[in-house]
Amino acid sequence: MMMSKKFNRRDFIKASTATTASVTAVASGITLTTFAASETPVTNEKRWGMLVDTNKLSENDIDNMVSACQQEHGWGGEIHSTNEQKPAWIKNIKVQDKATKKITNLPLMCQHCEQPPCVDVCPTNASVRRADGIVLVDKHLCIGCRYCMMACPYDARSFVHENLTEQKEHSPRGKGTVESCTMCVHKVDKGEQPACVASVSAKSDAVIFGDLYDSSSNINQTLKQVQSTQIRADMNLNTGVRYSGI
Amino acid sequence: MSRGLIILLVLLLNSAFAHSNSHSLGDEANALRAAGKTFHKSISAIRKMHPELLKHKRDKTLRQGIRTDESSLKGCVNCHSGKNDATGNYHPINAKDQFCSTCHQQVSVSVDCFACHRTTPSQATIAKQNTAAEPISTNTFTAEEVDKKGDDDE
Repeated sequence: MMMSKKFNRRDFIKASTATTASVTAVASGITLTTFAASETPVTNEKRWGMLVDTNKLSENDIDNMVSACQQEHGWGGEIHSTNEQKPAWIKNIKVQDKATKKITNLPLMCQHCEQPPCVDVCPTNASVRRADGIVLVDKHLCIGCRYCMMACPYDARSFVHENLTEQKEHSPRGKGTVESCTMCVHKVDKGEQPACVASVSAKSDAVIFGDLYDSSSNINQTLKQVQSTQIRADMNLNTGVRYSGI
Repeated sequence: MSRGLIILLVLLLNSAFAHSNSHSLGDEANALRAAGKTFHKSISAIRKMHPELLKHKRDKTLRQGIRTDESSLKGCVNCHSGKNDATGNYHPINAKDQFCSTCHQQVSVSVDCFACHRTTPSQATIAKQNTAAEPISTNTFTAEEVDKKGDDDE
């Protein structure tokens, strides 16, 4: 802005006082419209994680976890997709020991890695890891290239192949975008447990959810006591979902 | 020539009054208005700024976990969708002549939000709205508090 020579010190002070007054007015308007819900961004002081004890989980329990997820997020009702195309945010995986032929069932979903390959390869920054460790797809930015699906070692992501309606209001899903387990971020932000964890927690402590960093949390203490592992720990992804019993 | 002029005038007037169609304002919003209150402090600001507000909020919600009611798309849908009087079901908010469409049709802008987002209030929200005696809104202003400035300068 050009300042004319006639704009002397006195005028400047007058003008700046007026500006300050208007700013205060705006600021008071903002305080009027503040809300009770949390306005502070999530931080890396927390790291959300899950511990799955496969010894305590029956195949039926895992099926319940899958249907709890379907109900919470509204996936699984796709009618125009083939079986290969159908979304699977969480699935029941059977692993068999070659020597003893012992079969173990385990629920497999997004492992919420600390170093997520899906975030590394995403060309649009749609794959995102929140500060508290939850890995999400920003569907506003997702172009449906599916690089992340290729990169994920756990095959945890799905692509929506058909038009959808009547989505859950807390879980927007749409054709042409990639989706995966959100660790029920909408519930976690409210202080609740993910739907799959809640489906088994009434019966047993087979699946524990909590803050890995919090030394007073159940998950932290249990992880200190029991033998646990990360799937494909050799990749050094430092997953948020841990397993014991496999 | 004069016929063309009349058509042009009618079209212009149409676009000027398009937004004042209260039929598509939505059930909760109408109830709020009937109670003499309004959710938005400045109607003109929300008319002009809602794309920016929604865009800003979506990043805050998804990336930072800030889930306040302010500028929430869920809030828009819950308040501004209207019931089909015959069936009792809600019209999708992006359906023809519904709240989002009335203006966007007028200005030929396609709305992308509802490829993924739900277009009607959820059953839980409807139940909450039905049992509440007054319109549910966390933040309302009375008619006197509303900033009328610039409301007519569309």
